[in-house]
Amino acid sequence: MRLYRTLVAVALGAVMTVSGAIAETPKNTLVIADAIDDIITLDPAEVSEVGGVLASQQIYQPLVTFDPADPTNIIPVLAESWTVSEDGTTFTFKMNPAAKFASGNPVTAADAEYSIRRVILIDSRISFIFAQFGLTKDNVAEKVKALDTSTLQFEVDQKYAPSFVLYVLSSFTGGIVDSTIVKQHEGTLADGSNDYGNAWLKSENSAGSGPYVLTKWDPKVSILLSRNENYWGTAPGVDRLFLQHMPESATQRLALEKGDIDIANKLGPDDIGAISGNADIQILEGVSSTMYYFGLNVRNEALSNPKVVEAIKYGVDYQGIADTIGKGTIKVHQTMIPDGFLGGGIDYNPYSLDIEKAKALIAESGVATPIKLETVVWNVPPYPDYAQAVQATLSQIGVELDLQVVDGGPWLDRYRSHDLDIWFGLWGPDYPDPHSNAKAFGNHDPSDPDGTKGNLADRFGWNSGKVSDLVNQAVQEQDVDKRKALYDEAQRLHTDTSPFVFMFQDSRKVAMRNSVKGVVLGITFSDDRYGGVTKE
Amino acid sequence: MTDNLPRPLRLLLGFASWLLTVAITLVGLASLTFFIGRVLPIDPVLAIVGEKALPEVYDRVYLELGLDKPIWQQFIEYLGKLLRGDFGISYSTNRPVFTDLLSFFPATLELATIGLVIGVALGVPMGVASAYWHEKWPDHLIRVIGLIGYSVPIFWLGLVGLFVFYYKLGWVSGPGQVDVFFTGIVPRITGFILVDAAIAGEWEVFWNAVSHMILPAVLIGYFSLAYISRMTRSVMLDQLSREYVLTARLKGASEFTVVVRHALGNAAIPLVTVIALSYGGLLEGSVLVETIFAWPGIGNYLYSSLFAADMNAVLGGTLLVGIVFVLLNMLSDVLYAALDPRSRSLANK
Repeated sequence: MRLYRTLVAVALGAVMTVSGAIAETPKNTLVIADAIDDIITLDPAEVSEVGGVLASQQIYQPLVTFDPADPTNIIPVLAESWTVSEDGTTFTFKMNPAAKFASGNPVTAADAEYSIRRVILIDSRISFIFAQFGLTKDNVAEKVKALDTSTLQFEVDQKYAPSFVLYVLSSFTGGIVDSTIVKQHEGTLADGSNDYGNAWLKSENSAGSGPYVLTKWDPKVSILLSRNENYWGTAPGVDRLFLQHMPESATQRLALEKGDIDIANKLGPDDIGAISGNADIQILEGVSSTMYYFGLNVRNEALSNPKVVEAIKYGVDYQGIADTIGKGTIKVHQTMIPDGFLGGGIDYNPYSLDIEKAKALIAESGVATPIKLETVVWNVPPYPDYAQAVQATLSQIGVELDLQVVDGGPWLDRYRSHDLDIWFGLWGPDYPDPHSNAKAFGNHDPSDPDGTKGNLADRFGWNSGKVSDLVNQAVQEQDVDKRKALYDEAQRLHTDTSPFVFMFQDSRKVAMRNSVKGVVLGITFSDDRYGGVTKE
Repeated sequence: MTDNLPRPLRLLLGFASWLLTVAITLVGLASLTFFIGRVLPIDPVLAIVGEKALPEVYDRVYLELGLDKPIWQQFIEYLGKLLRGDFGISYSTNRPVFTDLLSFFPATLELATIGLVIGVALGVPMGVASAYWHEKWPDHLIRVIGLIGYSVPIFWLGLVGLFVFYYKLGWVSGPGQVDVFFTGIVPRITGFILVDAAIAGEWEVFWNAVSHMILPAVLIGYFSLAYISRMTRSVMLDQLSREYVLTARLKGASEFTVVVRHALGNAAIPLVTVIALSYGGLLEGSVLVETIFAWPGIGNYLYSSLFAADMNAVLGGTLLVGIVFVLLNMLSDVLYAALDPRSRSLANK
C-alpha cells in the first residue's frame, strides 16, 4: 500500500503527506483558480478565450515576442533574427537552431510554415488576424514558405510597419506547433477536407516548444500542465500548473487566504479590497488592454452635432465612477490605445465632469432639450452600473438616456445593426499591436459605410477623416518612433473629435500567496507568463 | 375489459402503456427544449466563432451545425439520432454530450443523494415531532428552522458556511471535490468520488473527499429538510386528527405505536411523493451551490452550456433531468404498491 502510494505519487509527481491535514498546495505545483468554463479549444490556431489563451501561452511559443515592460523591445523566441525587404513586404526569419519541441524534434522553418498556414487553411475563427495581411487559402502556400530548414519567408500584401507584423506574429495565434507530430494526427472533416490536426490538438494533446505540456484538460473543471522535460530554455521552477475552475470570487478569496490555491485570477473589487490587508498575500498589479467606452451613433440628428457630443463628454463623472464602482480595478483612460501598447500611455485625459460647461455647450448647439437617446447596455456587471452613473449625470444637462439593459445576444445584435443611439461596451485588442484598436475606432472605409466588416467608426456613422489618414499612415510607417508619434497625434484628435467616449482601462490586480515568485503579467487580457515561476 | 385477459398479458399491456407515456413525455420535453432553444436570442454560430470572425468562417460553422436546413428537418434528424442513443457533440467540451453527462452527473447524484439522506433522516422526525407537539414550543422551533432553510438564499448560507467551517474553524475542506494533492489519483470507475476511492482502497482520498462534501451536502440537505419537515408536519396533522388514532389510543396502544406505526405508516404514502420530488429537484443540480463550491456537477454544466448557446449540451442535459423525473415517478409508484396494502392486494389479484 505504502509502495503503491509512493509509486502513484512519483508518477503524478504529487508530493503527498501521510496525514490528511494539509494546509498548503503541493510545493511543486502552482494552483491557479480561474473561471475556465469558457474554453472551447486549446489549438493555438483557433484559441481566443481568456482561459484558453492562458493555458496555450504556456505550451506554445511564437517566432518573436516583446517585453511587457517595454513593448517597443521585440525579443527573438523561436526565430533568432529577421530581416525585412526594401519594399517592406517580405519578412525573412532565421530560426533558432537551439529551439526544440517537447518531442525532442528541432523547431524548423517547416514547423513555422505549417503552423501559420494552418490558421488560414482550417478557416479558423481567428483567421482574420492573419488574413489582414492578404493571406488566403489559395495564396498561403506561396506567401508563407520555408526556404530551407532554418529560413522562413513571410510575404504580406502591402508595406506595413514591421512592428505591426511582428506584434501580430507574437500573439497567441502565432504559436508554433510540431509539424512532424501534428501531421501524423491529421484527420478528415465531414466534407472530406484535411483538418490539419485540429481535432487532435483541440482538447487532448499538445505539440509545442514552451515550458509546459498539456497533461489533461477536464472541460469546465480543470487543466493540468506539466513541465516540458525537453524544454530548451531555463526549466520552470515548478513541475506543474493546475488551473482549477472556481467561478465565484468570494470562494477564490477564502481558498487563497486559506492557502488551498496559490493564485486567484478572478477576484472582484470587493474581495481585492478585503484581501489586501492579509500579510500572506501579495497583489500584483498590471495593465489589461480591455477598455470600457460608449459609442454615440451620429446618425441621430442631435448626436450629429459636435457640440452635443462634446457636452456629453463633459457630462460623465469619470473619476467618481472609477473610485466608487471600480474601486481600483479600472483607471480613467480617454484615448483609443491602451497603456502598455506601442503608442499607448500618452496620459491624455482632457475630460472631467463639468455640468456648467456641458450645459453651455448644449445651449450653443441649439438642440432642444431634453435630448432623448436610446441606450443599449449588456446586463452583466459592471456595464449597468457604469451606464446608470452616466445616466444620472447626463440627466443634469438635459440628456436623457433610455437605458435598455439586455442579454449578450441582443446586445451584440443591436451593436451590429447600429439601430440605436448609444451603445455601452468594451473593447479588447485581438493582438498586441495598436492597429487592432486604431483600425476599429479610427479607420474609415468608404466602401463599407455601415462598418459590417468591423470598423466601429463607420458602424457609429462617423467619417473619421484625418484620424483615418493618420492611422493608415501609422500602420505603414517603417520607423518605430515615427509610428509612435503618428499614434500620438491620431489619438489626441480622436479623443477630441470622435463620437466615442472612452472612459476606463482595466487595471489588473492578481492576488497570490507570498510564496509565489516570478509571475509576469502580460499586457493583453490573459497572456500571463508562468515560465519563470518558483515557489518557496 | 382487460380484466378478462390472462395476468402476463395484462402486465405486458401495463408495461407497454407505461413505456408509451414515458416516450411521449420525453419526446415532448425534447421538442419543447429544441424549439425554445431555436427561438432564444442567442446565435449559436456567433457563440462559436466570436463576433470578429470572417464571413466565410461564419458560413462554414453555420453549415456544420446544419442550421441551413428547415427547422423541422433539423428536429427530425435530432430525434433520429436520439433514438440511436446519440446526443450529439458538445462544441464547448469537444466530447459527445453523453460522455459529458457521464462525467458531470455522478458528482451531482452523489451530493444530492447524501443531501437527501440528511434531509429525510432529520426532516421526517422533525415533521412528526412538530405535528405531535402542535402549537407547542417544539413545533415553533422546528418551523423556524424550516423557515430559515426555506427562505434564506442558499448561496449566502454557502458562503457563510465556507467562511465559518472552512476558513475560520478549519473543520472541513474548501471548494472542489478533493484537494489538489489528491486530484487524479483515483481511477475513474463509477464517477462517484467516494465509491471510486473506496474501490481503489485510497482511504486518504476517501476521507478528503468526505471533508469536501460535508458542507455542500449538509447545505442542500438542510434545504430539502425544510421542505420535507413542513410537508411531514401537515400530513401528520391530518392523520393525527383521524378517528383511527382515537380508536388506537382508546384501545390502549402506546403513543409510539399510535404515532409512528399507525399515523406515520399512513402518512408514508404521500411523503414518498414529496421525497421523490425533492430528490428530483436536487438532481437537477443546484447552480448556486455548485458555483460556490466549485463542484463539477450537472447544474454548472447546463448553466454554462446555456450561456455558450451549446444547444446539444443543453438538450442532452434537459433530457437527462427529464429521465430522472420519470424514473423517480416510477420508483414512487413501486413504493406506493409496497406501502399501501390496498394496491398490493390489487396487484396480487
